[in-house]
Amino acid sequence: MATTTATLTLTSTDLLTDSLSLSATSTLYKAGTTTGLDSIQYEKLEVAAGTQYDMVDATSGGANKANKVYVANKHTDATKYVEIYIAALQIGRLYAGDWMLIPLEAAAATQDVSVKAITSAQVIEFALIHEGKTLAAS
Amino acid sequence: MATTTAQITLTSTDIADNALSISNTMTLTTAGTETGITETTGLARKKIASATEVDLITIANTDVTALKSAKVYIKNTSTATDKYALIGVGQATGTPIYIGRLYGGDWMLFPWSAILTDGDGQAASIADGGTSAHAANDDITIKMNDSTETVIEYMVFFE
Repeated sequence: MATTTATLTLTSTDLLTDSLSLSATSTLYKAGTTTGLDSIQYEKLEVAAGTQYDMVDATSGGANKANKVYVANKHTDATKYVEIYIAALQIGRLYAGDWMLIPLEAAAATQDVSVKAITSAQVIEFALIHEGKTLAAS
Repeated sequence: MATTTAQITLTSTDIADNALSISNTMTLTTAGTETGITETTGLARKKIASATEVDLITIANTDVTALKSAKVYIKNTSTATDKYALIGVGQATGTPIYIGRLYGGDWMLFPWSAILTDGDGQAASIADGGTSAHAANDDITIKMNDSTETVIEYMVFFE
């Protein structure tokens, strides 16, 4: 089995009166087990403006797993952002330099994870760490 | 302005033939600017001992402005890797869209649009000339897989 860890370090010396220093580390396991996720898809993509594109097809990775999705907006203009969707629901905006890490439920075939670049094309990095996916037949 | 940074490190030496090492640091800024976010809920802890779906973070109970650059951190502090918290966006009394499962020890950090519905219950919906299907307030919902008492930590950064 593979061992993959995700570590978060959140820090600020001036957001609060006292310093904020939060650290969290998780080992990425298959759902309900202590067996590590052993497959990965890692890409760098240019997303054209104005259209919603799927990053993760909800049917390919399996529903109700512990798969993880990482997305980073690599743009450098702070005014630019991409919108992140699950199905038709906009979850949030990733501005230039932002990243996110979420678990992926993919509860229904319609619950793809998708991205839409606003006002201009933007480059994103995207990783799906998973326990195996179904390739589409050609 | 405040300077708050969030660094992620994703590493593995054996998920592929070559080692995986992703490291990325973001500064939490207000939407469309390089000005640091200055508001937060602070780090909160909540004990949940029920498998009933509830709102973990209710927009109406925060000062989050919709469609900005808010970020949400959530961690399942349990050590039980066979039990999970199912995190969604929507309303616990409705039909939230599920993001995913946080098993014991898992954490997540994601941007949050925090959209309230409008008069027709479809804020920013296609019917309103938008593109989203916000049939309910975008609260953050949580549903444990059983009634084992579990401590969930969460924090929101917002403007």
